[in-house]
Amino acid sequence: MRRHTRRIYNICYRFTGNRTEAEDLSQDVFLRVYRTLGSYRSAHGGFATWATSVTRNLLIDHYRRTKRDRITDSLDDKMPVVENKEASGRRPDEQALLGELSAQVQSALTRLSPELREAVILRDLQQLEYAEIQTVLAVPEGTVKSRINRGRIELARILQQMGVRPA
Amino acid sequence: MTWTCDLVEARLSDYLEGLLQGPERAEFEAHANSCVDCAPLVASVRSLVGEMHVMEDFEAPPRLVYSILDKTLGPREAVTGWQGFLNAIRGLATPKFAYGAASVMATLFMVLGASGFSLRKAKLADLRPAAIYQTADRGAHRVLARSVKYVSDLRVVYEIQSRLRQDENNLQSTPEDLLPKSGPEKNPGQTDDHKPSQPRQQNRANEASRQLEMLAAAWPLLSERSVR
Repeated sequence: MRRHTRRIYNICYRFTGNRTEAEDLSQDVFLRVYRTLGSYRSAHGGFATWATSVTRNLLIDHYRRTKRDRITDSLDDKMPVVENKEASGRRPDEQALLGELSAQVQSALTRLSPELREAVILRDLQQLEYAEIQTVLAVPEGTVKSRINRGRIELARILQQMGVRPA
Repeated sequence: MTWTCDLVEARLSDYLEGLLQGPERAEFEAHANSCVDCAPLVASVRSLVGEMHVMEDFEAPPRLVYSILDKTLGPREAVTGWQGFLNAIRGLATPKFAYGAASVMATLFMVLGASGFSLRKAKLADLRPAAIYQTADRGAHRVLARSVKYVSDLRVVYEIQSRLRQDENNLQSTPEDLLPKSGPEKNPGQTDDHKPSQPRQQNRANEASRQLEMLAAAWPLLSERSVR
């Protein structure tokens, strides 16, 4: 259970950029999994894939619910890097632990649209295969590849705007 | 196929993941390496993807697992009284804890013994720092005194042994005509505990030497008994 908890927590944190929200969402994921365990079928893929699907659905629901409370993307683009880091709510010691590039990637991820963000997180941070991501997102494989590609390019451009050059 | 910047951007992930083969790959690289816009894009995305693939996961908060268990299985019942106490110490019933506890107790007994604390007649006053210091100081001086005495005794024994060997050597090298002759009332060469083949004085010297050697060998024992 700890292994699944860690993976789901990481997906939630990478998507939301907020520790508290990630914890709450992780609990909701397990609650949903516990309640709907009877509906799980092996035809839907492995248990990990099914749990990732539940996670993704809750993240999208949460994103839509809180969209009104967030600053718009156009304003985010104009915010300098320092203010953006403070807006994410991370503590200084957490910042040191993350590593500078990891923190900057995290900051840049929150600027991506949800569709591109989830694709990049699942492929590049969780190392899921294309087939698994296709099952989780419930879209064709071509759409998965397209979103991953656009997400990577967009992320690299955002990091370039932030003045970050990956090694 | 003519590669344009849009096409390079659209197939960038395919290139990075090795899905482009042969001539297609070569043409992609030819454009990407020569184009001022595509070259930095390809380099930055390649570097970014490489960095993301080795980024470590975050550790979930330790309380998260328990929160999840509480939400799914319900909060755990609080056990009080003896049952709660037994549940608490059940976690300590492991071999590792037992070995650790035994080591700590053994160390404690050794330290208490060295500090002069008597377990048979335990007194709280023995645990005063001044009492511990005095006991340790007394013990240290006692050990020092015994060590010095032992070394001194060794010196004495060494000197006696070296003198005896010297005397033996001198006697063996003395010519026979210089040795005193036996009296008329005794048969020549007849003394107590002597060998007939050896002169009397030589036998007396041997006897004295043997007795001194025995005394030197027994000296440490005698001195130890006198100290006790």
